Formats: sequence, structure tokens, C-alpha cells
Amino acid sequence: MLELIDLRRRYGDVVALDGLSFSVEPGQMFGFVGPNGAGKTTAMRIVLGVLTPDSGEVRWRGAPIDLAGRARFGYMPEERGLYPKMRVRDQLEYFALLHGVPKARAAAAAQDWMERLEVAGHAGDRVEALSLGNQQRVQLGAALVHDPELLVLDEPFSGLDPVGVDVLSGVLGELAQSGVPVLFSSHQLELVERLCESVAIVKDGRLVASGAVADLRERGAGGPTVRVGVRGAREGWLQALPGAEVVGHDGSGALVALTGLTPDALLDAARAAGTVTHFALERPTLTDLFRKAVAA
Amino acid sequence: MSALAERSAVALVARREVTERVRERSFLISTAVTATIVVLVSVLPTLLGAGGPTTYDLAVSDPAALPVARAAASDAGAFKLRLHLQRLSPSRAQGALDGGGVDAVLSRRGLASREQADAQLVALLQTADRDVSRAQALRAAGLHGGVLQRAMDPPPLRVVSAKAPDPERDRKGRFAFVAVLVLYGQLLTFGFLLASGVVEEKSSRVVEVLLATIRPRTLLAGKVIGLGLIGLGQLLVITAIGLTAGTAAGSITLNGEILAAAGLAVAWFVLGYAFYAGAFACAGALVPRQEELQSSIAPLTLMILVSFFLAFAVLDDPSGTLAHVTSFIPMTAPMTMPPRIALGEASPLEIVGAFVVTALAAAALIPLAGRIYSNAILRTGTAIRLREAWRLR
Repeated sequence: MLELIDLRRRYGDVVALDGLSFSVEPGQMFGFVGPNGAGKTTAMRIVLGVLTPDSGEVRWRGAPIDLAGRARFGYMPEERGLYPKMRVRDQLEYFALLHGVPKARAAAAAQDWMERLEVAGHAGDRVEALSLGNQQRVQLGAALVHDPELLVLDEPFSGLDPVGVDVLSGVLGELAQSGVPVLFSSHQLELVERLCESVAIVKDGRLVASGAVADLRERGAGGPTVRVGVRGAREGWLQALPGAEVVGHDGSGALVALTGLTPDALLDAARAAGTVTHFALERPTLTDLFRKAVAA
Repeated sequence: MSALAERSAVALVARREVTERVRERSFLISTAVTATIVVLVSVLPTLLGAGGPTTYDLAVSDPAALPVARAAASDAGAFKLRLHLQRLSPSRAQGALDGGGVDAVLSRRGLASREQADAQLVALLQTADRDVSRAQALRAAGLHGGVLQRAMDPPPLRVVSAKAPDPERDRKGRFAFVAVLVLYGQLLTFGFLLASGVVEEKSSRVVEVLLATIRPRTLLAGKVIGLGLIGLGQLLVITAIGLTAGTAAGSITLNGEILAAAGLAVAWFVLGYAFYAGAFACAGALVPRQEELQSSIAPLTLMILVSFFLAFAVLDDPSGTLAHVTSFIPMTAPMTMPPRIALGEASPLEIVGAFVVTALAAAALIPLAGRIYSNAILRTGTAIRLREAWRLR
């Protein structure tokens, strides 16, 4: 388990982290979301030891992390970084060696990851000669080539085409299944919702919400929300109902937030008003939760 | 999978520097170009006859000036000159002078030349003129034969120097000159390559991936050592080529003294590089882009340039005050000590002392450079001032 405990960090007068705490379970795909400047990158850099916090600590498997422990993490920074003039194979091998992979296994690991990330055809090319998408695959390879115990990825999906997104999410899913926690930040919330079991939403260096995505969606709205469509009903029947508030409309019906009414009572009222064509309990999406959390 | 010991991490970083650099075509080309320059500089002076007497074409346009010209021609050797005399009519002499056929014209009225005449030539002709006039005067006063001969040619002054003249002096001087040239190029090149390598990692942001695995000081040490090894290897190759070419052309005599001087010059490169490397790495770490590197390393390149000029002054006067003082300034010693050693003008005690002073200074700079480098290397955006980098964390 990875634990971030009360992390604080300032840059001059700017507070980047203001007591951030959350934890990532083994084998979990964990989404780290928040508006720009919320402190995501700072938190990830602290996990990797690239930055030191003013106070607070990061624990891995219950113990503070040292350099030797960090060598077993995989990291992909937001601003991608590879040696532009170094060849793909050499580069991956070099990062494997730096992470402590024995020489005999480093070459095989580099070859393996080039194949899995579908860049083996570019093994002898300089990185600067690759398309951005392929550079990103090599970058991911550099984070994975030493079979890390924990993966920390800052905006891994930005700049990828849909095929790249599929390749990457496939690889990350396999890793998580094998027990490697994957912590990644992203602004693509639909993707986070699809891939992650858990998320942390941060704002201004503080945790706003965290937990299993399903729980958050369940709890997120305050009361249940129902989409209801009724044919042949008289205009304004919903507005007349006490304890129900229309918060939106689409083709299939009105979106109703229930404040006093139960879903059963709403269904009865709808059947009384006309023919029910659509009736579904709706949970807020991660995007809704994010908007709400960030606006607060 | 285990974490690397710091030493093997340094070795990994250093090895990457070496293999990546040596595979670059530009590196092979620059080595070839430097070697060619060294060969030319060691061979050309011999081929062009430097060090031999200078020859002047002197037209004599007046029979009265002929005795003076002849006397001058026979004495020319003492002035390291050779005179080539031509008898010409005044008008043809003038024509030859204007056309560049002769260097100067001697007549009863004196010496005429196109540009200001060489001081040695003037001195030679003055002496000859004086001798001829004096002989005439003495003869007119009635002196003849042996008496006149003794009056005109007293036994030569005995010249004794405390130190035996070194017949190899000129050759050693040539070696020292080339050594200064090569050391200057090598220090400047590898300082620049180091700084530019640091900027490459910073601007490409690969440094963040690296620093998630290894400490800044590990990265810095690996880069400095790796590039230093390439610089050393290149210098050894160039030295071998230069010594071979110089010996073949007869510009130097390959003996124990020259080999020792060459070995010590290489050692001074290592020391000079050690002294300057940390500073160059910091200069690189302070700027975000290659474009800003020139201004950032300017103070360092200037220091090396100043040392280069001081080395020439020292080459002129290898046992003067300037020579002694600059040998004990770590900034200049790597450039000014090798020529003194080559000329045999530095005592073993002085060599060891200067070596120790520079080595201590380099050792003292390493932690300072490490701190500045570590603080600055992850700061992107704009260039950082040195003081700011010192205080950051």
C-alpha cells in the first residue's frame, strides 16, 4: 500500500500541497484528478523523491521510502523526458540498468517491452526521430522496463490517439491485475471512471473527495436522481410535485433530483400523470462529482 | 531487483556518456580535425625553416657603399641574418625596391627601404659602417698590418652563462607551444560539452526520470567522469599523433624529458578539467535551453582564455614572477604549468606544490558545485541566478 500522509509543500508564497493525505491499495488502479494547479504533479514528484515535502511523509508497504525503494517504482513525468539522440533499445536498456536490473536481463526486458508497446520496429531509431505517440510509448517503456512494484504516471493519456489509449489502458490493467498499484493523474474523467476502482479528487493542495468510484457516485448526489419520461401527461405535473426538483432534460425525459420524495412515490405520481416511457435511477458521473467538488 | 550501489550508478552514467559520445560522427570528426591541426603546427615550422637565419636582398647602388656592404655580409651570421648583395645602378635599384625585387638599397646617403627596416639589419649595417670608417681612419693615421688587425679585431669577449645553454631549448619551446594550444582547446571543448550535456538533460526533461532513480550528485559525478575519460582518451591520441609527427619532421627530439613533459601536460589536463568541470556543470544547470548556455558559461570561457594568454607570456619568460605566481592560481595553473615543465623551468618541488594547490581547490569546489547543480537542475522555466540556486532546496 502507498500512503501519502499530510504532505505540505510551498514554493515561495505559493502553497502547492496543504496537508494532502490518501492511500493506494495493492493492485488498485487509482485515478488522481483535480483542476490545473491543484498539486497533483507536486504530490507525484514527492512520491518519487524528486521533490522533498516541507512536512509529511510518503510510506510504501508501511515504511518510509528510501532511494533503494524508489528504484523499484516506475515513473512517467508530466513533461516527458528521454534522451532525444539515444536509440530506443539503448535507452530502455539504460533505464533498466539504472533501476538495478542485472545486465543479462536488461536487454531482454528492453526487447520485451518494445514488443508489448509495439515499438520494436523502431529499436535502432533515435527517439527524436519517432512520432510523438511512439515517443510516449517508449516513455512508458522506460517506466516499466524494470518491472516496477508501483507505477506513478502523470497524465499518461494526454496526447495519445484512441488506439494508443487502448494499448496503454490494456497494459496498465494487466499490471494492476498482477498486483502493481497504478497511480495516475488525468483530466480525461470518462477514462478515469472507466479504468479506476478508486480516485482522489484534489483542489488547492487538499483532498476534496476520495474512495471507490462506485461509492462516490452513490453518495455524491446527496439524494437519488431519477430520469423519468411520461407520455400524455399534462404540462407542469412534475413541477407541482413537492420534494422533487427538475434539474435537467434530454430526449428520454426529465432529470429529477429527489429531496423529499422516494423513487417509488415519484413512479406512482408518474403513472397517475400518463404512460411512463422511461424511469431510471441515475448516479452522477465522475465529471459531475468533479464539477461539484471543484466548485465548492 | 536490487537498488544499485552509488558507485555502479556513477559507472553506468559515465559509460553512457562515453558510448553515446564516441558513437557520434561529430566526435570522430572533431578528433581528426584537432589531430590535423596539431600535426600541422608541429611540422610546419620546420618545413618553413623557422629558427634559421633571415635572408635579406640588399642592393648596393653606389661603389662607395660596397666595402660596408661586404663587411656587413661577412658579419651577418652573428646577427642571425644572411645578406644577399646585388650591384645595381641607382635607378634600377630604386625600381627593384619599388617592385619588391630587393628588401633595401644601400648607398652613400644611407639605407633606403620600403617599410621600416628590420632593427637587426640596421644594427648590422651600422656596425659594418662603423668598422669600415674606423679602419679607414686608422689606416690614415698610419696603422698597418698586424697592429691595424689587432685594433680592428680584438680577441672576442668570453661569454659564460651560469647555466649551460640547452641545445634542445628551441625544440622544447615548440613542444610547449603546441601543448598550450592543445590544452586550451581540450579544456574549453570538454567544459562546453559537459555544460551542454547537462542542458540537454534539463531541456529534454529526462533529468526528472533520472532523478527518480539516482541522486543528483550521482548523475553529476557520472557525467563529469564520463566526459573526462573521453577528453583524456582523445588527448592521449592527439598527444601520440603530435609526438610522432613532430619527431618525424624533426621539430622535437623524442626523449625522456619530452615524454615526461607530455605525461605531465596530460595530468594537468585532468586536474584542470577537475577544477573547471563542476563550474561548467553548474553553468549548464542554471539555464533551461541550449540557446542560453553561451552567456552562462561566458565567465568560464573567459577565464580559460585569460589563462591561455598568460600561458604565452609564461612561455616567453618561464622563470619570471608571472610564471611563478600563475602556477599557484588553480584557475591558471593548468595552462601555465605545462609550458614551464616542458621548458625545464619548474622545479620538482614547484610542480608538486602547484599540483597540490590545484587539486585541493578542485576538491573544495566539488561539494559547492554539487549543491548548486542539485538545486538548479529540476527548475524549469527561466534561467536561475547563481545566488538563487545556492539558497534553493
